[in-house]
Amino acid sequence: MRIQEVDDLLSVAAKSPAEAQAIAAQLLDTGEWLAVVPGIDSVVVRFDAALLDAGVARETLEAQLANGVVPLPEGGEIVRIPVVYGGEFGPDLDELCQMLGISQDAFVEMHTGRDYVVDMVGFTPGFAFVGGLDERLRVPRRRDPRQHVAAGSIAVADGRTGMYAVASPGGWNLVGRTPFALFDANAVEPFPIHAGTRIRYYAIPADEFDA
Amino acid sequence: MTIAVLKPGLQTTIQAGPRTGWRHLGVPASGAADTLSLALANRLVGNAWNASALEASLLGPTLRFEQPAAFAVTGAIAAVSLNGDDVALHETVIAGAGDELSVGATEIGARSYIAIAGGIAADDVLGSASTYLPAGFGGLQGRALEQGDLLGTTAPGCLPLMTPDEFRLPMLSSWALRACPSFEANQLESRDDLFEKNWTIGRRADRIGIQLEGRTLDIASDGRMPSAAVFPGTVQCPEGGTPYVLSVDAGTVGGYPRVAQVARADRHLLGQLRPGDRVRFLRREAAGAIDELRAKLDYWRPWLEDIGNII
Repeated sequence: MRIQEVDDLLSVAAKSPAEAQAIAAQLLDTGEWLAVVPGIDSVVVRFDAALLDAGVARETLEAQLANGVVPLPEGGEIVRIPVVYGGEFGPDLDELCQMLGISQDAFVEMHTGRDYVVDMVGFTPGFAFVGGLDERLRVPRRRDPRQHVAAGSIAVADGRTGMYAVASPGGWNLVGRTPFALFDANAVEPFPIHAGTRIRYYAIPADEFDA
Repeated sequence: MTIAVLKPGLQTTIQAGPRTGWRHLGVPASGAADTLSLALANRLVGNAWNASALEASLLGPTLRFEQPAAFAVTGAIAAVSLNGDDVALHETVIAGAGDELSVGATEIGARSYIAIAGGIAADDVLGSASTYLPAGFGGLQGRALEQGDLLGTTAPGCLPLMTPDEFRLPMLSSWALRACPSFEANQLESRDDLFEKNWTIGRRADRIGIQLEGRTLDIASDGRMPSAAVFPGTVQCPEGGTPYVLSVDAGTVGGYPRVAQVARADRHLLGQLRPGDRVRFLRREAAGAIDELRAKLDYWRPWLEDIGNII
């Protein structure tokens, strides 16, 4: 097991987003960490360095994962997400399509033409990293992040679609925006989208954004 | 009883302790950017260290007490007055009905903390009363104070106190923060460019992050790093080479190389960095950083017994 240590943080490598989620779930269940935060190919735990030496924390982590990791259940209903593509709702779509040498219609057709699975939720409350983007649409993140990305923004980078549940800074390429509420702090279930949730996008015209 | 907001200041929010237990779903800690100054203020009015109080950035509010209440102001060096008369920082002050408290512009440091005996009524969301502005929840309707707001408090009596001199957190314009090289530090052309050199705090210095200026870093990154966990104190360096330090409201994962991590002992100081300040990162390895954390906790424990939860 590859564990790296930085101050009061320990990072465990994972082979896939699904494995990272499974590791995180297992570590969260122990209730022994100040925080457990899965990434795409890693999980970082924060230990209480006031009480615990790094060596002890590392041994505890190793012991908690020594017997392997139980994969999380897959599947469930498809959540359909309406998106207004391009224009002011997706200010990077035009440039992106020029870079990829495709029309905006072709982009929308490719993006709405398949089912996706949420790899993880994180970054901001409810931000969803959605895997399975068409390889032809693979682009890097922007070199310099934006200071302000609107809530509901739908963006692509690194073979994934990102859904900005709340306004935040961000470095992904903005292709559209959804009126779907990706996070509601006051709801009984504040996070409607989870790792493993299946997603399908469909295009709506701009005048239906608030409908 | 109520406290009326006559002038809100630049960005005054209700902050308490951090919001824990939801970080794996993208919910950041929020809470006071300088938790130590919050705890010092609450200590002076008999509150739990993490009771909800006001955090004011760069320019404080003017408030009117509608009934008598005890308050204390800590944090940045700023002119504070009650009905026009100077009020000292780090002391319990009893305000009478109708008294007006004004917290001026911070002169050194970035944030003032105003604690009221009994705390301030606030929305408890996902386990904390702290305001998280980006998503608009916690505190007072998830937003900064506005003129005309009425704050609720129970205003119990409390024993007047002064923070002993040795526990008055020094405010500076030039900071040294202990920091460890982080998970992607090896992508830096030279670690020496990041550590042991002065940086200037850029104009963007808020509860989300603090821009570092003065030079750019050469970083071997293709912009395709898989998103990974970040925390308050994480120094990220995008491909453009301008690094920034994440603070309490920052996102919980990021895709830019994590080149350093401000050590837990000094993370609370991020809340006092202001544009134009100088900052230098003192390089530490993990074991040394943890020893220094414990020494700092031992120093503060006689005045703040919960220091192990505060920083």
